[in-house]
Order: sequence, then structure tokens, then C-alpha cells
Amino acid sequence: MLISYNWLRELTNTSLSPQKLRDRLTMVGLAIDAVEMHADDSVLDVEVPSNRPDCLSHVGIAREVTVIERKELVLPEPRSVKMAGRSADLTSVEIKDPDLCPRYAARLVRGVKIGPSPDWLVKRLEAIGQRPINNVADITNYVLHEVGQPLHAFDFHRLSGRRIVVRRAAHGEKLRTLDGLDRELSEDMLVIADAEKAVALAGIMGGEDSEISDRTTDVLIESAYFDPNSVRRTARRLGMDTEASRRFERGADREHVLRAQARCVELICELAGGVATEDAIDVYPQPFVSRVVEFRPERVKGLTSLNVKTDEMVRILTGLGFKSDYFPLEKFTAEVPSWRIDVDQEEDLVEEIARHSGYDQIASELPPSNIPGEYQPTEMKQRSLRRALNACGYDEAITFSFITREEQFELIPALNAEAQTELKNPIIEGATWMRSSLLPGLLNSLRHNLNHGIRDVRLFEIGRVFGVSSDGELPEEPLALTMIATGAAVEENKAQADRELDFFDVKGALEAAVDWMNLSPLVFAGTTAKHLRAGQAAVIKRADGVAIGTLGRLAEAVASAYKFRQPVYVMELDLGSLLSGPERGIQYSPLPRYPSVMRDISLLLNRTVALDEILSAVRNQGVADCRNVMLVGTFAGANIPPDKRSVTLRLEYRSDERTLRDEEVEERHSQLTSSLLQTFGAEQR
Amino acid sequence: MTENQPALTPERQVEAARKAFDEDIERFVRFCDPAQLAQADLETAVAEERAFAEVRARHLGKKSELAAAKKSIGRVAADMRPAFGQLVRSHEEAMVQQVELIEASLKEHIEAQRTARESIDVTMPGRRPRSGHRHPITLLRERIEDIFVALGYAIEDDREIETDFYNFDALNIPDHHPARASQDTFYTTEGFALRTQTSTVQIHAMQRRGVPVRMIAPGRVFRRDTPDPTHNPMFFQVEGLCVDRGITMAHLKGTVAEFLRRMFGPDTVTRFRPSYFPFTEPSAEFDFSCFKCKGSGCRICKNSGWIELGGSGMVHPNVLRAVGVDPQVYSGFAFGLGIDRMCALMYELDDIRLLFENDVRFLEQFE
Repeated sequence: MLISYNWLRELTNTSLSPQKLRDRLTMVGLAIDAVEMHADDSVLDVEVPSNRPDCLSHVGIAREVTVIERKELVLPEPRSVKMAGRSADLTSVEIKDPDLCPRYAARLVRGVKIGPSPDWLVKRLEAIGQRPINNVADITNYVLHEVGQPLHAFDFHRLSGRRIVVRRAAHGEKLRTLDGLDRELSEDMLVIADAEKAVALAGIMGGEDSEISDRTTDVLIESAYFDPNSVRRTARRLGMDTEASRRFERGADREHVLRAQARCVELICELAGGVATEDAIDVYPQPFVSRVVEFRPERVKGLTSLNVKTDEMVRILTGLGFKSDYFPLEKFTAEVPSWRIDVDQEEDLVEEIARHSGYDQIASELPPSNIPGEYQPTEMKQRSLRRALNACGYDEAITFSFITREEQFELIPALNAEAQTELKNPIIEGATWMRSSLLPGLLNSLRHNLNHGIRDVRLFEIGRVFGVSSDGELPEEPLALTMIATGAAVEENKAQADRELDFFDVKGALEAAVDWMNLSPLVFAGTTAKHLRAGQAAVIKRADGVAIGTLGRLAEAVASAYKFRQPVYVMELDLGSLLSGPERGIQYSPLPRYPSVMRDISLLLNRTVALDEILSAVRNQGVADCRNVMLVGTFAGANIPPDKRSVTLRLEYRSDERTLRDEEVEERHSQLTSSLLQTFGAEQR
Repeated sequence: MTENQPALTPERQVEAARKAFDEDIERFVRFCDPAQLAQADLETAVAEERAFAEVRARHLGKKSELAAAKKSIGRVAADMRPAFGQLVRSHEEAMVQQVELIEASLKEHIEAQRTARESIDVTMPGRRPRSGHRHPITLLRERIEDIFVALGYAIEDDREIETDFYNFDALNIPDHHPARASQDTFYTTEGFALRTQTSTVQIHAMQRRGVPVRMIAPGRVFRRDTPDPTHNPMFFQVEGLCVDRGITMAHLKGTVAEFLRRMFGPDTVTRFRPSYFPFTEPSAEFDFSCFKCKGSGCRICKNSGWIELGGSGMVHPNVLRAVGVDPQVYSGFAFGLGIDRMCALMYELDDIRLLFENDVRFLEQFE
């Protein structure tokens, strides 16, 4: 909203410079974005809060300035005009939808001479960015910017039947608006019509048909109050945003309708000649009822800590147009002026007093504290998780919660595989679905990186995924953790890596993260999943056996859909479930008193035998003094048949009672060996 | 020496030992000359050191001629024995001295050669896998949480898809408010809203915890903006709430100012301006003095010296009533600010779409 400094000075006699005004208005809640020079004037660009339509005018801003400066508002003096005839004898006004139009006033000025506006008026309008058209149109625009009441002038003789009907548009009714566009209207739009047809879109824009032209002699001046929601709805629907609609949709001052119209008529008579009717036809089916707010001065201190004298409170409220019956009491009432649609309770009055006393006068102190601070219960674990994954080379990503539909991913067990939540009004083309997996977002990010020549990428994301609502319930929103890895096992500050990443890099990073979170180690088992390559897919289970996600190499079909030409490893799990799983208990065990003896064993067995099976077979043997078994390594290829592999294990033998003798160890180890060979049909190498 | 040969006198024996020593040691003498020593490479020096050790053992060891000569002192006439002893000692001392000289010199040379050969380039990269990085939004969120936990606040979290009650009604947003329009708010086909602010969590938290309450809620929010350098349809916000008896705007100012000082440095000045939000009354926007130029005006603060950061105010009585709290007994303040915006300011991002593109070259610039 542009405000002319010169115009403002006429209304306030302000002694503040434009720059000073900028600061002072900003500090009462009317932020000034910029002050710019325009000829001999300064123009202030005021950011008016959406609940203060009364400030969308020079008088509105002036009222704030007078309270700031303890001055009086200087409103333009009424001027005498030539009057003849009564409006009701010349025209009529009928409101068919009083809900949408609580007030409509029409008044005529006959015998005007349309022409250009005088210089002073042109200058005023140009200063605030308005384009001069002709004297009558300019005057309606001038009064709008002066007092905030939108007005419209019709060429009276273009109105069929010489009358005004305020009604809803007929279905499909057409109107060419002043901007030259043909509008097709619907039944929920309010129009101003004459005896036959719509001549204006109520509160938004006039029609071209009844526009003021050089040949116009008699004008009908409309001053009305339209329902804010109706104006907003219609303007949105038609994609229109005008000076008038902006004010009506936020709320105009229905008590000011006649005064604004009188001011407009006076200026027309003065600048365009003509004779005004003696009165207006004022149809006011829903008169304004003023609000009265009870106010306890102590609440100002209670809510803001400001010490303001009651006299000062009354000065501020009165200056802003509130009427109060103040006596030195603990409680008084304030009648809210008709233009202040934003005030209806005590706290609103507290704000009026606080902002004019100055927020900078409010002390700054911490509240006394009697509650301890606390993080979310899993926050520290999540921090460990992030840091562990960082340490393993994974960058944290954040992707949009809405994605294009993806059906090729197996979801975490908490979500129903078919159902997904759809958006009614997406903004990014195709991104219509609330993600049920973080994988599509991360794989898109991976594609972005590959397209930019970055081929070694490790990413993870922590975020909510979405199920679907059923029976009107909100969809579930479990927290997921997803990792992707591709390319080489890069080292810091080195251009080339020794090897490519694989399944076990992702698995290792996840296991490290689980350790960092002090949770019980996860269990992995071979599985199939539709987005994972067969034979390189694992189901992830918590220590207590609950399945929480999958890990593996991205299936060829999915990878090629993303145009990946290198292996990609992906992991997704239900983080909420992981975090609520068993913790790793810590209990001290005494250090060994006697030495251990290590024995290695190499078994040649079928590739299908999983390491986990072998390890548990060792543990289940219950061989005396066998304390530990660890993998040394596996070997395949060379002279080993393709369906076999060699697995080397290291076994630790130790007693708590004494040092074991070689023969004892030998005896135990050969017992274990022969049992393993038998169990797995293996050969010893 | 055989038994049959006529035995030399002990004196002659000593002389002979000395002579043999001098002959054997001749080729090693060059190692005492730095110039000649320098010509010997490490392998030569090590081989010569070994050879020299043998020479030493041969001439000065237990089985050396000198040692044998010493043993034959019995054959020296008693009165000549002191002189003989003197003779042996003087030869022995001279030989040992020379040997040690050569030895030390060789040893030093070898050590120097080895050291030179084994020297490393200390500017080579340390050995470690590539490190990953936290997302800048996480960095800021964690910092903000740490500050508020220290101030006695609980961190709260809740749903991202919400009912109109939590997203609008309970926050005193009127039925016809533009924010409710599907132009500004995402809706699911079932008619639920993607939360447009984390203020929704205030309502959940007050319902769960009752009052008094002190909490902040960082989280994802959604608004229907087309992505461009300054907009994203999804961003991160943190919302704060403090409700208790006797809470005033002074506490709001003190809390926000303390937070911003801890976030942007102890010199940070905070400014409150009246504003309008449906869920607070009185309402205030807060600005802070530019952390870059300290208020003198720069590109970041658009030459105003101030940076707009967030909205705040005293919790609207209708919001308190919506969760069954009596506004005549309790009062509270609330504030909210954009983490993405703060991120853009602090790291001088010229395009916030980078935040969700996850380009590794972007992500690795952060901690």
C-alpha cells in the first residue's frame, strides 16, 4: 500500500520526516518496506497486516500517526454543492441478497463534464502508482485511497430501466469487465445489475457497458458494503485482484458508506461540474451493531508487563476511535469503531495500548523456571545414529515428502503395501503421493548426483513415511531410516579408492550405527524383495526376531528405470521399531586368568550354507572350553568347484581353572571338526 | 702358529699383532674421512660394518693374537713386566680408539642413511575413510534444541498430516482465512491437511501435558508454493510455547533474545514490532541485528541492519480455551521461525532448493 507523505501531512500536520515516520510506523505495526521520492513528494510503501483493512487508506494511516504524535486528525471540510431532486425519484435500488450485500447506497450527479483531472489530483494519484483516467473515475479512486471506501461510478443512462438490482448472477451469465475480458459468471457470484443484465461484479470491477465515457453526462455513484467472503471467493475464482476487492474481502467500514459517497459527490461537483441529488438511496438491510469490549486496565501489565497510566490508555484508545465511558474504575468498556473489524476482546485492546506505548518499552527477562528441559526420548540415539553413519561415509539427505507413484518397492512391515495417501492438490507435477518409502526420493537424489558426474555416493535419510487413512482415520506415519550406497569406497583426500562398495559396506555401517545407539545387534537373513536383486537381499530383524526392513542390491529392473549403470545398494527399515527394540545390556565379565589356545579350521562346503548356520552349529556343539568362534575368511574360485566355497574359522579354547594342555585342545578341536564335517557334509582343507 | 715353531717373545708377539691389525684395518680407515664416507651407500656401509665387526673380533676379541700375547706375560722377566704391561696397554688403547672411531663413524653414517631413506612426507593425507556430513537443517535443529533444553524446554514432535482442528480451528484461524484455501494448503484426498506450521504440536502438547508447559517443536511443514530460489513447498520450522501463570511479553522478549544471542553471538540485538497472527494477541514480529555487518547494513540484511526472523506473541485466549486452559488464570507466549530461512541466512545460500536436491558437493560443505 503506497502512501503519499504530502497527502498524509494534510491529514495530520505531522512534524515527522518521511524517514522518521518510517521508523515510528514500523514500530506500531505498520512496517514500511521503502520510502521513495516522487517529484516533490515522498512515497511510503506500507505493509498493512491482513487484519487492518482500515489502514488501506491515507486516513487510516493518518489516524495512527496522530496517536503517535499526540495530534488531531484533520479531515477534509465538507463543501457545499449544488443539489436538486431526490435520488428515489430518479432511480431505485433493490438488494436481493442482503447476506452478501448488507448495505448499498446510490446517488446521482447530473450534468457532469467528463474530462481530464486537474494537476494536483493527477499528481496525487501518480505518486501512489495509480493511472489517471478521467475526472470522475479519478475522483472515485482518490476517495478510495483517502478513506478506504471503494466507490463505483456508472454512466446512468447506460443502466437499463435506470435502476440498480443487487443479485446473484444467473448460471452462465456473461459480463465484459472494465479490463476488457469477457467473464462467465456462476450463481454464487454477486453482481450489480440493471433491469436486464449484470453491469458490475459486486465489489470487484465494473462492466465496460456502463463505463464512464466522454459522452457521459449523468453518473450514479455506488457506495456499498459487500460480504468479505463472497468478494474473496468470486475474485479468486475469476483470478482477479483489484483495489476494491482487496478492501472488501478484508472488511470495509459499512458505517462510512454515506460519508465516502458524499465526499466523492462533492469532489465531482467541484471538478466536473453537475448537480447532485439531495440525498442518496440508502438500502441498509443489515445495520451495523457496534461491539463493546470490557476492559480491565490491569490486563495491560498482566500480559505485557508494561506500566501504562490509565489516562494514557484512554488517550490511545480514544485517538484510535474507540469510545469509552472511562471513570477511574477497575473495569471500563470501550466501543469499537466500525472500521476496526479486528477488535473484539480485551486482549485486542491490550495490543492497541502496547503497540502505541512501544514494544521497545517492554522489559526483556527470562521467565522463572520450574520445569527441567528434555529431549525427545530417542533424540540422543538418533544423534548417535547420524554421527555413526557420517563416520561411515554417509551424507544426510532430506527429500520431499511427496513423490510420484512408485509401486516397485517393498515397504517397511508397518505399512500396508497397496494403500497410499494421495494429494488432492499437488504443486510439483507428478508428485501426487505421500511417500510410503524414502527410497524413491533418495534414488532421485542419487540420479541427480550421477547426472552431475558424482559416482561415489552414500546417502541416508531419516523421515516419516505415510500409510493410508481408513475409516476417516489419519494415516499412520512411521519413522523410517533409509541408506543408499554406490561407487567406490572413497578415502578422505584421495582421488582413487582401492575397491568398490558392496552389500557389506551398507551392512557394516548399519551395524556400526546400531552399536553407537547401544541397541542389541541386528540379525540378517537371506530373503526376496521385489526391489532387490535375488541372492543379494536380506531381511533385517531386531535381536528379538521382529522384522523391521530390508537390505540388498537394487534389482536390475528398478536400477534401469533410474538409468543406473553401476550396482546400487539400498537399505530401508522402520526406525521407530528399531529404536524401541532391546538395548544392549552392559555387564562386566572378569578377564581370563589362563591363556587361550587358538586353532583354525578350513571347511570346504556348499555355497548355500550360511556362515550364521556354521557359527551356530559351533556354538550348539557345546564343546568344552571352546570360548569363541570367529570368521577368518572365505575363499572361492581357483581350484574350488563353483558350487562350493572354503570357510576358515578361528576357535578359541580356554579354561577358567587351569592352562589347557596341547592334547586336551587337540582332542576337543578334532571332536568339533569331525562333527562340523559331518553336519554340513564338508571336507577339511 | 704351531707348537713346533719357535715361540716369539711376548714383546714381538704384541708387535706382530699390532702390525696385522694395522694391515687389516687399513681399508676401513677411509670411513673416518667424511668425504669418503659420504660415497658409501647404505648397503656398502652395512656390509662394511659387518666386515669391520669381524676385524674387530679378530684383533681385539678373546681369541685374538693380542689376547694371546697378554697371556704370555709369564714368559716375561719379572722386572720387565711393568714395561710389558705398558706396551700392551698402549697398543691396545690405540687399537680400541681407532676401532671405535671407525665404528662410530660407520654407525652414524648408516643411521643417517637409514633415516633419510625412511623419511616420510608428512603432508600426505591421513588414512581414513571419507566422512559423511549431517544435513545443514539437522545442524541447526540440533543447536536450537540444545539451546532450548538448556532453557528448560521440552522438545516435542507430532504428526505431519493433520485434521483441520489441529492445523486451523484450535489455532483460531477463521473459517474463511485464505490459509485454509487449497491454494495455500495441501490436502489429501481424504480431506486432511499437510500441516502448514508446527503450531499444531502446541495443541497436541498442551492436551498431552496440560499446563504449565514449555516446549519447542521443530519439524517439517508444507505450503503450496512452487519451488524457486526462495520458496519450497516443504520446509522446516521451529515453534515455541511457554504457558504458565504470570507469563508476559517481557518473558517472550527475554526468551527470544536469549535464544538469538546463543545462536548468533552475545552482541546480537533483538527488536520486536507489532504484527498480526490469528493465534497470538498481542502479536509481534522479531528482527535481530545483522550478524554479518553488526547493524551497519549489508547485502544479507538488505542494508537495514536488521534481519526479519519470525513471528511471536501472547497465546490467543481462544487457543488456550481450545485446549481447556483458562486464559484468566494462565497466559503464555509462542514464537515461530523458519529453520530453512535461518540456514539460508547463516550459510548465505542463494537458492534454497539446494537444501533438498542432496547434491553431495553441497552436503559435504557442512559439518
